[in-house]
Amino acid sequence: MSTDVMISASGLTKTFGSVRALDKVTFEVNRGEVVGFLGPNGAGKSTTMRILTCFISPSAGSAQVHGHDVFDDPLGVRRVIGYLPQRAPLYGDMSVREYLAFAAEIRGLDEANFNKRLTRVIEVCGLAQSLDKQISHLSHGYRQRVGLGQALIHDPPILILDEPTSDLDPNEKAEVLKYIKEIGKDRTILLSTHNLAEVEEACARAIIVSKGRVVADGALDEIRSKTGNVRYMVTVDEKNAESGHTAPKANELSSALAALPGAMKVKEHPTDENAHKFELAGPEGKDLRAEIFRMMVQKGWTLLELRRDAQSLDTVFRELTRGDERLDRGRPVQDDDDNDASKDKE
Amino acid sequence: MSPMMTIAKREFRSYFDSPLAYVVMCLTFLLLGLAIFLYGGFWQIDRASLRLLFEFTPVGLSILVVPVVTMRLIAEERRSGTLEMLITLPVNDSDVIMGKFLGALGLVLTLVVATALYPLAMFWYPWNLGPLDSGPIWAGYVGLVLFSAASVAIGLLVSTVTESQAVAFFVTFFVLLVLWFAEAAATRVSGDLGTTLNFICFQSRLEGFTRGLIDSRDVIFFLSVTAVALVTAFRALERRKWS
Repeated sequence: MSTDVMISASGLTKTFGSVRALDKVTFEVNRGEVVGFLGPNGAGKSTTMRILTCFISPSAGSAQVHGHDVFDDPLGVRRVIGYLPQRAPLYGDMSVREYLAFAAEIRGLDEANFNKRLTRVIEVCGLAQSLDKQISHLSHGYRQRVGLGQALIHDPPILILDEPTSDLDPNEKAEVLKYIKEIGKDRTILLSTHNLAEVEEACARAIIVSKGRVVADGALDEIRSKTGNVRYMVTVDEKNAESGHTAPKANELSSALAALPGAMKVKEHPTDENAHKFELAGPEGKDLRAEIFRMMVQKGWTLLELRRDAQSLDTVFRELTRGDERLDRGRPVQDDDDNDASKDKE
Repeated sequence: MSPMMTIAKREFRSYFDSPLAYVVMCLTFLLLGLAIFLYGGFWQIDRASLRLLFEFTPVGLSILVVPVVTMRLIAEERRSGTLEMLITLPVNDSDVIMGKFLGALGLVLTLVVATALYPLAMFWYPWNLGPLDSGPIWAGYVGLVLFSAASVAIGLLVSTVTESQAVAFFVTFFVLLVLWFAEAAATRVSGDLGTTLNFICFQSRLEGFTRGLIDSRDVIFFLSVTAVALVTAFRALERRKWS
């Protein structure tokens, strides 16, 4: 294994009774990467993280963290990671300082080292004001920060954060993301979430899981282009047109766009009463902007805005994970599973 | 300090962060005092003996103290999710079990040691009710320590297999009650069941200690119960990995 691979999971499978929560999950995370681990609720994100932190064991497959095997050397794994479980479960009866001291003591930090790290953690996680407050009296956002603090107290090279921003209000979310970006400058971070905006803000790479399988893994741009579509946003004046022409009605504009060569799907977006806004999906290899422009000129319509971008991550995510809402994840274990491994993989 | 001792220390201190420890201690002392001096007939015996103390203390421990002290040990951590946080620190599952055990036993033993105030106050200072035979007292305390260890280990085991504190409380309460009164039940049944009940009865196992007799069979019995309960609790905690 190359020394630059910090986390490596290979064929991780986990079954709970007759339900398959993870299905041959394979991925690697390299040194210095901040990777978003994306998926709908219940797709297997937490299960994967619990396996990587040796809280539970996989039914099949293997994983190494910083070269330590999760089966053979769980203590080695836990020493090199900082882990923040979902909803930051902390001992409410302790103060922030006591809690951090407790985590540091278990991790074997001596007094001097602890004090040095504490200063840094307070600074990075913004805990100065709440250091002596009891944890049960803190807001959820602050608890999340304390959770981050305990994960950082021993200066680990790898951080595993399970939905660090769930249940936070937008301000708290932005703050926690800020801290994560700050921390991620010199660390490897695997960050799970079902919120795409967060991934776009904090991560350069994403792994998307759905129904216990990896359905996409790569740089965000790569994933965006995954469905092979390009999106055009077209905004046309609804009231005014060139002299001698009439401004288009919504259905006129829609059918005109749909008639363009290569146009795949047309969808109206809500706007104010002065303009029509349409989203047009086109093929990846071809640029439709010129055609759209010429069509507008020919019809005498007033083009207010034309923008081309790759599919939004949001759309890709929904397409890749469609069907999860039917709650059919965890299909029953079947005997022929080994045969369809290659078919399953994207 | 080893992770095990760090966990034990946190557990022990956390009892004093809530009113729980204080309430349990006060109640126990109150009930123990009432039981020994008001209803137990301490004054009627008219002897400088504290047998009653060693007869009532284990009952109090069984039905009140140990179930209350152990019910939350693992069950509460499991319910609130802090177990995941604790176990993913670099600790072995055995550190968690032993740390929790020592923390809870620490509190129970604090209470046991505190009961020594009775003999000290009555036969030494401020009252000196007469010369006291200290042998049975020492032996009685050895018995109480062993009994406490076994009971706490059983409570810990129960707390490990459930997520609900209430369930843990009632199951521990019931199990300890059965173990305490097993001998009484044994007199009504014959054969192997009767022999078994006699064998596992905590009350009869403690009787020797109360009389000042430390029998190695009883010592080994309590130590074995403790060890078996702890190992089973360890296995039960480990089972989460595979379920």
